[in-house]
Amino acid sequence: MAATIERLPSTELRADVYRRGRNRIQKAVTYVLLTAAALMFAFPLFWTVSSSLQTWKELRSFEPHLLPAVPQWGNYARVFVSVPFARWMGNSFLITAITIPGVIITGSLTAYSFARFNYIGKEIWFVLMLGTMMIPTQVTLIPQYVLFFNLKLINTYVPLTIGSWLGGGAFMIFLLRQFIMSIPRDLDEAALMDGASPIRILWGVLLPLMKPALTTVAILQFLGDWNEFFGPFIYLNRVDLFTAAVGLRFFQNIPLETSDPRDHLLMAAAAIMTVPVITLFAAAQRYFIQGVVLSGLKI
Amino acid sequence: MATMANRLKLSGFSEMLTTSRQRRENFYGYLFLTPWLIGFFGLFLGPGLFSLYLSFTKYDVLSAPEWIGLKNYIKMFSDDPLFYTSLGRTFYYAGVGIPLGVFGSMFLAILLNAKLRGLAAYRTLFFMPSLVPIVASVVLWKWLLHADFGIINQWLVDIGWSDPPGWFGDRRWAIPSLIFMGLWQGLGGTRMIIFLAGLQGIPESLYEAASIDGATAFHKLRHVTIPLLTPTIFFNMVLGVIGGLQVFTAAFVATEGGPGFATTFYSLHLYRQAFDYWNMGYAATLAWFFALVIVSLTIWQLRLSRRWVFYYGS
Repeated sequence: MAATIERLPSTELRADVYRRGRNRIQKAVTYVLLTAAALMFAFPLFWTVSSSLQTWKELRSFEPHLLPAVPQWGNYARVFVSVPFARWMGNSFLITAITIPGVIITGSLTAYSFARFNYIGKEIWFVLMLGTMMIPTQVTLIPQYVLFFNLKLINTYVPLTIGSWLGGGAFMIFLLRQFIMSIPRDLDEAALMDGASPIRILWGVLLPLMKPALTTVAILQFLGDWNEFFGPFIYLNRVDLFTAAVGLRFFQNIPLETSDPRDHLLMAAAAIMTVPVITLFAAAQRYFIQGVVLSGLKI
Repeated sequence: MATMANRLKLSGFSEMLTTSRQRRENFYGYLFLTPWLIGFFGLFLGPGLFSLYLSFTKYDVLSAPEWIGLKNYIKMFSDDPLFYTSLGRTFYYAGVGIPLGVFGSMFLAILLNAKLRGLAAYRTLFFMPSLVPIVASVVLWKWLLHADFGIINQWLVDIGWSDPPGWFGDRRWAIPSLIFMGLWQGLGGTRMIIFLAGLQGIPESLYEAASIDGATAFHKLRHVTIPLLTPTIFFNMVLGVIGGLQVFTAAFVATEGGPGFATTFYSLHLYRQAFDYWNMGYAATLAWFFALVIVSLTIWQLRLSRRWVFYYGS
């Protein structure tokens, strides 16, 4: 590097020095902007935790305390005593325990069909499947509600989980299909030569190779169900069946035994509800990124 | 082999029906497609067509639908002030929120794409808010933006704004509050990751060539980065419009459509008609019109994209 610079004519050398000075400024500006953004993203998270550990009197004084004088860990316990929050979290987990196997099994089958077989009408079905992503959920909402209402399935988890056992939705199928398409067909053909049946090829050859995509799908399904508000809100109206998301809103609005402000408890509940998601993210960060790379960029 | 033949377009339609390999493909293809087909007909197409039928009826779930022709459609356009105002508010929310969100995410991704140390930590931090469940996020933002005790208003008072906005409780500020919350949640989420992946797909050689020509960082951004990101911008815009117009949960949990009707977006109006007033027929009309709006906007964006989206190497 030094040798190259020495050989440069002096004007170009000056230009190079100038450029490097400019680079340093650019770097500094980048860091300043990033740090400013980081503070804006992080502060609300910090404030959730800090508020959740304060007393309501601290929170409602006109002198905001950035940190609690004495951390009130009891706030967290009070959430679980005031409302059946543990039950609601359990219900949310139960729903994901039903939907994740569903989307993995039926989503893979559908993706396998689209990725590996050449049958009459395939292109049409594929376009129709992608088209379902465009149609707002409101269009099917009312008839679906009427259907489940007439089947006496209100206040069950069937309306919330059945879709995951019927392919799991266009996005998941598309993601899995893209992944199967990236697996060399030679592997299927070799297994076929050995007399393996198609289901055997899916089970024995493809699924083991699809683990990263299946993990991504499982995570996305978990996040979707954990976050989902509208479905549980209209299909569940018994408090003991609520999910965490519906329960948190319920907790926001119901009267408690005292009429004291409950901001600190709501913050604690919001934090509790976020913990499983953050934990999952910490454990499997790269699969979050993979979902994007697999689906978004190849459309 | 049949697959080779298909690739070479040698197989005719009759052949697709007759060869034993093709019969096998049809059989297994449809066998594995069956779960999805059941869902498609049972949960999507069937209900979709049924709701189209309902849109021509008066229906309250308990008694049978009563055919009333175009009355719901006439009512929608001529006798429902909330139809126009809720549609207008939805466009306001999406029209401001989506461009800010998409370009904000792009800006963050460009910053994160600089080859500097420690950026992975920033990326992780930016991503965190998108993990917070939306209901939890609403609870948090209602507290941050509390009119009297919210820390943001306390700061605003400290810096001399004696009469800060009432945010969620203020007609003029309720939608901006939702937009702020949406930006906090969305800027650093998957959209930013999609932009980062897009940025990594830009060949380094283009930047080197620009450097040799003496391009400044701004020139490179203007003439290399942004043109090559147009497919990603387009993709995010399309997804943003489809999602943004359907905004429901945030507004419903934060304000239930209020104060007044300040955050009664289209989907809230529809929800009320369906589940508060049990006007299921009319709600189906609203839903079908909405689908038409979203599909037309998507097709319009696709058309428009030919004028501004640049595909490198094609």
